[in-house]
Amino acid sequence: MEQEKVEVLKGTLDMLILKVVAFGPIHGYAISQRIQQISRDFFQVPEGSLYPALHRLEDRGWLQAKWQETETGREAKFYTLTRAGRKRLSAEMVNWERLSEAVALILSTAE
Amino acid sequence: MTGWLRRLFHKRVTEERLDAELRFHLEQRVKDFIASGLSPAEARRRANLRFGGLEQVKENCREARFEHYIHDLLHDIQYAFRSLYKDRRFAFVAVLALALGIGATTVTFSVLYNVVVDPFPYRDFQHAVVVDLHDLAAPPHDIARYHYTIPEFLAIRDQNRVFDDIVGNYQLNVLYRDGKGTRRFLGGYVTTNGFSFLGVPPLLGRYFAPGDGKPGTPYVFMMNYRLWQTEFQGNPKIMGQTFILNGKPRTLIGIMPQRFNGYGSSLWLPLDLGLGAEGTVFPVKDPDVIWVCARLRKGVSLQAAAADVDAILHRLAQANPGELYPQRFKIVVRTLLDFVVGDFKETLYALLAAVSMLLLIACGNVANLLLARASVREREIAVRASLGASRGRLIRQLLGESVLLAGAACFAGCLLAYFGLKGLVAIIPRGPIPEETVIGLNPAVLLFALGTAVLTTLICGLAPALHAVRGNLSLRMFGSGKGTAGGFHHGKLRSGLVIAEVALSIVLLTGAGLMMRGFFALTHVELGFDPARTLYARVTRAADFYDNAAPSELEVPGKKALFFEQVRKRVQALPGVLTAAISLDFPPLGGAGSEITVSGKPSQQWESMVDLCSETYFQTLGLRLLRGRLLSESDIDSARHVAVVNQAFVRTYFGSEDPLSQKIKFNVFDQLPETPHGAYFEVVGVITDFKNRGLVAPVRPEAFLPHSITGFDDRMIMATTAVEPKSLLPSVQREVWAVDSNAAVTHSGSIKDFLAEEAYIQPRFSLITISAFAGMGLALVLIGIFSVMAYHVALRTQEIGLRMALGAQHGSVVAMVLWQGLRLICLGILIGVLVTAGLVHFLAGQIAGVSVTDPLTCGVVVIVFLGVGLAACLQPARRAARFDPLIALRYE
Repeated sequence: MEQEKVEVLKGTLDMLILKVVAFGPIHGYAISQRIQQISRDFFQVPEGSLYPALHRLEDRGWLQAKWQETETGREAKFYTLTRAGRKRLSAEMVNWERLSEAVALILSTAE
Repeated sequence: MTGWLRRLFHKRVTEERLDAELRFHLEQRVKDFIASGLSPAEARRRANLRFGGLEQVKENCREARFEHYIHDLLHDIQYAFRSLYKDRRFAFVAVLALALGIGATTVTFSVLYNVVVDPFPYRDFQHAVVVDLHDLAAPPHDIARYHYTIPEFLAIRDQNRVFDDIVGNYQLNVLYRDGKGTRRFLGGYVTTNGFSFLGVPPLLGRYFAPGDGKPGTPYVFMMNYRLWQTEFQGNPKIMGQTFILNGKPRTLIGIMPQRFNGYGSSLWLPLDLGLGAEGTVFPVKDPDVIWVCARLRKGVSLQAAAADVDAILHRLAQANPGELYPQRFKIVVRTLLDFVVGDFKETLYALLAAVSMLLLIACGNVANLLLARASVREREIAVRASLGASRGRLIRQLLGESVLLAGAACFAGCLLAYFGLKGLVAIIPRGPIPEETVIGLNPAVLLFALGTAVLTTLICGLAPALHAVRGNLSLRMFGSGKGTAGGFHHGKLRSGLVIAEVALSIVLLTGAGLMMRGFFALTHVELGFDPARTLYARVTRAADFYDNAAPSELEVPGKKALFFEQVRKRVQALPGVLTAAISLDFPPLGGAGSEITVSGKPSQQWESMVDLCSETYFQTLGLRLLRGRLLSESDIDSARHVAVVNQAFVRTYFGSEDPLSQKIKFNVFDQLPETPHGAYFEVVGVITDFKNRGLVAPVRPEAFLPHSITGFDDRMIMATTAVEPKSLLPSVQREVWAVDSNAAVTHSGSIKDFLAEEAYIQPRFSLITISAFAGMGLALVLIGIFSVMAYHVALRTQEIGLRMALGAQHGSVVAMVLWQGLRLICLGILIGVLVTAGLVHFLAGQIAGVSVTDPLTCGVVVIVFLGVGLAACLQPARRAARFDPLIALRYE
C-alpha cells in the first residue's frame, strides 16, 4: 500500500481491459483488482477512467454486458468479450509488441 | 448495436443501471477495506475518496456512448425551435413554401406509384405480357393487330418455349333478357386457366376449372363485382341460379371481388378451345379475335419471348399466306402494365418533372430566406464561434432549423397531399388507368414524402449553413451584420437563387400556357354540328354473332334494314327530336376502314373509311353537298350501290378528275358474310370534310353508302335534339324495345359527354395539374422575389439614407430598387425561355394541336411575369423611398 502506484499509460487501458475480460465474464471492480494484481500492484486503474472506458468499449461492440449474480449473491454487471472484441485485442497486442520493441531498440542504442 | 436506441428511450432505466454498477464497485471496495481491518466509517471515507466524484464519472460514462450525440442533436433542435419561434413570420412562410412543394410532389408521386409501379392486385403481374404484331411497312408505333385466330393461339400455346402460362380471351356482347326487356352486358370468353393465371380468389363460389366449356358440359358463367352490385343489388342468393344469356340458360358459378378487372368484362364465359366447344364457331373462318396474355418464364427477356413467338407466326404465315399477315411483320412482346397504362405513363413522368421544378422553387425560396437570416445573424454566429463552438457544431445548429422546418413541412405536406389526392382522383382520366388501381397515400408514398423532406433539408439548409460559417469567423465580430451590403458576397448567391427560381417558373408557366392553348384548340375543333344537342345510341340485335350462330340464323340484309328504319322513324317522331339518322359510327370517330379499288385504275394500296347511313345522315350532321346529289330514300329502299364521298377522298384519289360516276369497290366487303361481294359503288355526290379520325388527326377519305346493302354489324341511331339528349335516352330505349324486345341499346349519350369522357379528359387532367403547379410556382417565386428585395432594401438602409440626405428624389430611389429587381427577373426570364426552347421536343409529345414554339404563349407568359415580378418589388421599393434619412443614418 505504501508503494507509489503508476497510472496506466494513456491508450493502453483499453487493451488491458480487453485482455483481462478475455479470461471470462467479469465485473468492473474485479477488472480493476485483477489489473492491479497481475501487474503486482504496479498499475492502479482509477475508477474515473475505468468506467467510461468500459462503457465506450461496450458501445463499440467489443464488450458485451449482462447483469448476473456474484458468488455472494449480489447483482453485478458482468462484461464478456465479443468476437469483434477478440479481434481488436489481438490487433492491439501486435501493435503494442511492435511499439515496445521499437522503444527498447532506441533505448538500447541511444547511449 | 441498437442498444443505444433502447437506452435513448429508456433513459431512467439506463441511469439506474449506471448508478447500480458504480455503487456495486464502491461497496466492494468498502468491503475489502473492512476486511483489511479498517472501521466501517473509515472504510467508506477512504473508498469515496479513492473513487472521486461519482457524478463526474457518470457524466464521463454517458459521454462515452452514442446516444450522447442524439442528446446533443435534440438540444440543437430545441435551440432551433426557440430561434424559429422568435421569427414566426419567417417560419410560417418557409413551412408553407416547403409544404406546397412536398405536398404537390407527394401527390404526383403517389399517382405515379399507384398507376405505374403497383396498380394490379394480380399474382406476379410484372411478368404478365401481351403480344403485338407490327407491320414493318407501317410507322413504328402502329400496331397492326394484337388479336389472333384460334389456330394462331393454339400454335403459340403449344410451340412456345418462353411462357409459363398463356391465356386467350375475347369480348362479346351478352344480351340478358328479364321481365323489362333486353339489356346488354360486356362479356368475355376466357380460357379456363384465366383466373388461376391472375391468382385472385373469387369472392363467392368458384372460378372456371379445366373441363368447363367442353361440349356437353353444363353452361356456366362468372360475374364481376360491379355487375353484381348494380344489376342484382349484391344479393348472394343468385349464386347457382340460371340466367338466359344470349338465348342460352347458364348457371352462375362465381363472383369476383371488387378489385378485379381481369379481361375487362362484366361477366365471363369459359373458353375451351377443343373441337366444337362453345365460343369457337364464327360466321367467318378463323377471325383474329383472341387477345393473348402470357406469363414469361423466369429469366426470359421480352426480346427473347418476341423472337420465339415471331418464329412461330412466321411459320404460320408461310403455310397460310393471306390477309392476316402483312408482307413483312415482326412480333413485339410488352408487359401487361405497358399495354394498359401506355402513353399515360409519359404524361405522369412529365407531371413529376413539373412538380420537381415546383419543389426546387420552394427549396430555392427557403434557402434564400435562411441565407438572409444567416447573414443577419453573422455576429451571433461569430460570438458562438469565439466562445468555442466548433464549425461542425455551428453547422449542426443551423441545420437544426432546416430539419425542423422540413419536418413541419413534411407533416403539412402530407396533409395537403391527402386532400390534394382527393381532388386529383376526381379529375384523373379513368381510361388509361387500370380499373383495379387504388390511388391513395400508402407506406411507399409516405416514405417518399419523408425522403423529399430529407432532401429539401439538405438542399435548403446545407448551403446556407456552410455559407454562414465559411472564412474567418472571428473577424466578423467587427462587421455589423447590417449596413455592409453584399460585403460577404451573400448577394450573389441569393440573386442566383432568385434567377433560377424565375427561370424554373417560366418553364412551368410556358408549359401550362401551351397546354391551355392546346386544350382550347382541341375543344374548339369545328365539328359542323352541336355535340351538346346530338344524341347517339348503339343498338345491337345480332345477339349470337360470335356465339355458335349458324349462318342461316344471321340477319338477312333487308330485315335488319327494316328494323333500323322502324326504330329511326319512331325516334324521329319523339318530341324534342329534330332529325334522326342511322350510321355505323359517329364523328369524330368515323366508320370502318377498308382497302379500295377504283374501277379503271391500277390496283394500289388505297384506303378509305366506310360508313353505312340513312339518307337523313347528312342533314343530321349538317354536312353540305358540294357536287352531285346526296343519298336518297329510294337508294336506301332498293339498296342501290351508290356512294357519297368527302372532299379528302376526291383530293386524294381523283385530283382534278371528275369524281362523279367513278366506280369504287370496297375490298372489306369481299371478306365478310352477308355483304355484296365484288360490288362496285358509283360516286353520286361530294360533301364537305368533317373530322372522322379523332379531333387531332387530319381528315381521312371517307365514303357513305346506303346502310341497307348489308345486314352485317350493329348500327348507331343518331339524332339532333332540341332538348338535352340525355333526357331522351329512356324514350329511345323504349322505342327500340317496342320494335323488337330482343334488341338492346349498348352505348348511348350525348356526343358532348362522349368527347368529354374520351377526347378531353386526358389533356384536361394534364392542363389542370400543370396549371396548378405553375400557379403555385408563380406564387412561390413572388414570395421569393419579395423577400429578397425586402431584405436587400433592409441591408441598404444606410446607403439609401445617405443618398436621400444628399438630395436623391423619392422617385429615383424607387426606380433604383425596381431596376435592381428587374435585372434579376429579366435574367431569369431569359434563361427560362432558353430552357423552354430546349425542352420543346419533350413537350411536343405532350401537347397536341399547338406549335410548341408558340410566340403568343411565350409573350403572354413573359408579360405576366414582368408584371407580377415588378409588383413584388414595388412594396420594398416604396418602403425604401419612405426612409427618413436622419433615422436611416443613425441606425446602428
